Amino acid sequence: MRRRSFLSWLVYAAGMLASAAMPVVMSRALAPAVDTNRKTHLRPPGALTDDNAFIASCIGCGLCGEICPPKCIKFHKRDGGSQVSTPYINPEQKGCTLCNKCMQVCPTDALLEVPVREVDMGIAQIDRSACYPWVDTGICGACVSICPLGNSAIRFELWNQYRPVVQQGCVGCGLCVEVCPHPSLPIWVVERSRDPVARHRVSGSQGAIPF
Amino acid sequence: MTPRPFFLWKHLNKLRWMTLVSIFVMLILIPYLHVYQTFLAAHAYDLLLPEEKQLYDVMEIITRPFVNDPEEQLDAIKGSTWSGTFWGFQISDPLAVVGQIAGSLKLYWPFLLTALVPFALSALFGPFFCGWICPATLIYELNTNLGALLRKAGLHIGNKRYDRRLKYVVLLLGSIIAMITGSAVFAGIYPPAVIGREIYYAIALGGFGSGAVFFLMTLLLDLLVARRGFCRYLCPGGALYSLIGRFRLFRIKRVIENCNDCAKCTSICEFGLDPLRDNFGQECNNCAACIAICPTDAMTFYISPRDVAYQGPGQLGPRYRRDMGIEDAAA
Repeated sequence: MRRRSFLSWLVYAAGMLASAAMPVVMSRALAPAVDTNRKTHLRPPGALTDDNAFIASCIGCGLCGEICPPKCIKFHKRDGGSQVSTPYINPEQKGCTLCNKCMQVCPTDALLEVPVREVDMGIAQIDRSACYPWVDTGICGACVSICPLGNSAIRFELWNQYRPVVQQGCVGCGLCVEVCPHPSLPIWVVERSRDPVARHRVSGSQGAIPF
Repeated sequence: MTPRPFFLWKHLNKLRWMTLVSIFVMLILIPYLHVYQTFLAAHAYDLLLPEEKQLYDVMEIITRPFVNDPEEQLDAIKGSTWSGTFWGFQISDPLAVVGQIAGSLKLYWPFLLTALVPFALSALFGPFFCGWICPATLIYELNTNLGALLRKAGLHIGNKRYDRRLKYVVLLLGSIIAMITGSAVFAGIYPPAVIGREIYYAIALGGFGSGAVFFLMTLLLDLLVARRGFCRYLCPGGALYSLIGRFRLFRIKRVIENCNDCAKCTSICEFGLDPLRDNFGQECNNCAACIAICPTDAMTFYISPRDVAYQGPGQLGPRYRRDMGIEDAAA
């Protein structure tokens, strides 16, 4: 009898715990979290696409950082592990202006000279569930007006002249990330193979948040 | 009258110190110029902080006589002794080339050619980089002088001696590690590269990196364990330059007609060589300290692919007179 009452109490407690945890679990499962592939450590323009080859070719001389006019190129310190003293650009702090001085000054083949429009640092991705014009909470256009590549990289949507749409000409310089006034930065840089529209994790909504 | 060396050789050491100091000053100036260029590019003088405005004004005063368009023309000189660019002409350390070849396992000719000038000069003058250009040498020699002061004050300063071939092992091991890991190992353990980078980090990027700790450790090693210990026994760049300059043409030799066996040259030599017994070897970097200190002008330059063999005791010294059976004039 005592054992049976203990067992029933156990089942009751387990049910209580499960129902208490249910909101948390459901909110975690259904939260419209965007994929977290945003790159905060871009290589400078012209860098070898294979990052291991880049690390092997870079001699850590710091010339790219010394010649960078906006001082956007920083260097990995102890946090970098084997990439220590190799350059990176954090577009959330300062974006690249695509002046191409770093690839001209690099003595090795780590940064190769390529035309501005063939630079491959990534592609910008916009979260349409947060960007001010996309959720109709204001007009902005900061990313479009700062873009050094103009209409081939990012332009306004045809029917709403303030909603930015990333084009395939974007090279991922990250200037738009730097100037974005939204506190949660709904624009960021991802790898080039990805879609320039942020996809959300909610099951059923294949692709962007419907607009 | 015995032959005297060319009188200017005695003053080469002063020229060497001036070279070292000016290169160090340039290494400090280049990051400040870069910060100034950044302010210029931003066109934001009115938004600068007071100390930034001060830096801007000082740099403007320094550069105005030389350049018309600082934002573009100050790009002419960039970099450090590890790798630099001068009016579009790039010069890199041969160790950087060796490390990069080992790391990436391929030859990239434009980069190889940047090390051609240092390579040719080292083949002519030996490891002159260590004595004349290396920004770490300035600090290491000042550190040696500090050690001498401390010794004079009565502190016990270690001066152990190890096998000089240890640095070639470091060079070989570093290349092998670079091959395995594919990263620039030498950039982290080579003092001139570390110093150039750390000065740039400290001035332009707002703080020292981990290399500063490494450099302080080498200073402590030199001070407490062995005099110029890192350069003598561990530096991979010195090892590479010594190998390149093994058959260098410009060498220092002792003129035994003038030598009086005072051994000041042996005690001044930063690399622990023995000029008194004609042991220069491939590590001698023609720093000319022994020429400057010699009281009887017994050191001079000569041109030959190899050192002279031991010439015997100096002819002004007591041992020569005793060996030759000459009566001591003072006796």
